[in-house]
Amino acid sequence: MTNSIDINLEIWRQKDSRAAGEFEVYTLQDISTDMSFLEMLDVLNEKLTREGKEPVAFDHDCREGICGMCGAVVNGIAHGPEPETTLCQLHMRHFKSGDTIVIEPFRSRAFPIVKDLITDRSALDRIIQAGGFVSINTGGTPDANAIPIPSATAELSMDAAACIGCGACVASCPNGAAMLFTGAKISQLCLLPQGQKERKERALSMISTMDSEGFGNCTNERECEAVCPKGISISNIARMNREFVKASLF
Amino acid sequence: MACSGLCLLLFLCSHAAGNATLFISTSLFQSYADQLHSHPLIVSVFSKGLFLVFAIHIVTGVLLFLQNRKARPRNYKVRTRAIKNSQASGSMIYSGLLICLFVLIHTAAVSFGDHGRIGVTIAEMFGSFLLSMFYILAFIALAVHLSHGFWSMLQTFGISHPNYTTFIHRLSYVVPLFFLLLFGTIPLLFLFGTGN
Repeated sequence: MTNSIDINLEIWRQKDSRAAGEFEVYTLQDISTDMSFLEMLDVLNEKLTREGKEPVAFDHDCREGICGMCGAVVNGIAHGPEPETTLCQLHMRHFKSGDTIVIEPFRSRAFPIVKDLITDRSALDRIIQAGGFVSINTGGTPDANAIPIPSATAELSMDAAACIGCGACVASCPNGAAMLFTGAKISQLCLLPQGQKERKERALSMISTMDSEGFGNCTNERECEAVCPKGISISNIARMNREFVKASLF
Repeated sequence: MACSGLCLLLFLCSHAAGNATLFISTSLFQSYADQLHSHPLIVSVFSKGLFLVFAIHIVTGVLLFLQNRKARPRNYKVRTRAIKNSQASGSMIYSGLLICLFVLIHTAAVSFGDHGRIGVTIAEMFGSFLLSMFYILAFIALAVHLSHGFWSMLQTFGISHPNYTTFIHRLSYVVPLFFLLLFGTIPLLFLFGTGN
């Protein structure tokens, strides 16, 4: 049975990257608890459009929790209160009637606000461009089991590869650090045979780019791991630190 | 931070071993101090090295704090920590500054004092209730600082493995508690008149 709730919203509104921005308050009634968070924002935007007002700009794409496009800070937590859940997969059943929901954009010097809840997260793309790829010719598809990879190693690599690059780690880190993202991308490749050839250059180049993009430094607060919608472990940051030391010294 | 932190942790271990003689008697502590100062070259090299490590730890810590504040020019209106019991990690700069204040007072009173009667100086110092309380407060700050710092140091060195996670987690409680009990008991011994 579908229930409906009435909610109050406090949403960060900012006309463009140069505008000052401020919170605006909205009230929505009869919101179905089966709605996703983004569907609730769609309802708000339809209401605002009907009233002749500017709708709230927010990022979204697949709405299936796999593209990494959506993201906002809901009541102080990136992607909202549900663990390992993207904003698009958060449902209104997790809120109570009468709740006030504060929605803010991801805040970081490296993520300038484009408009309202939309931030420019291209700094993460530039970290990938610095070395988050395999550029050697690996030939045709090898025969199955021609290159044996221990199951545990393959699993670790796949776990790291689950990162969708949404930037919630940066948004939640008290220091605005991107080390979970970079650690996951470095781990994903350094664990597999294809990633060995460029292993050292990759670690040094990606970490150097991460530093130059204006992200903060990791002080091991573990907030990134706690809010990551894909459950990426901070053991990837430890692995990145090992890769950096090895690449620097040997 | 992790490298200088490791050096300071090793210093704490040696300092704790020396201080442990106070549990037996101040005269044994005095003879330990006399023995130490009979090697002026070693004392000189280690004290200057220690000062350098302290300076590196403090300067890099403050620089990190300032850089990290710059990385988030505007804070969230609602700040909710997803990690509970994160007070230690969130207050490293403040617990560190309190420890720094303690080190300044402690070195002024003890390290630059008369080493020939250091046992008597210690007994007189801890006879003061306020000074003893300040020392205990500083040791609590040290324990809080270490509870995050120890684990953080291992993580920075890349020492992380699922097989050892529980062990490392326990160590991050045991190590600070060990130093708190060892250092914190000494002023209490003298305050309650059981030190000799």
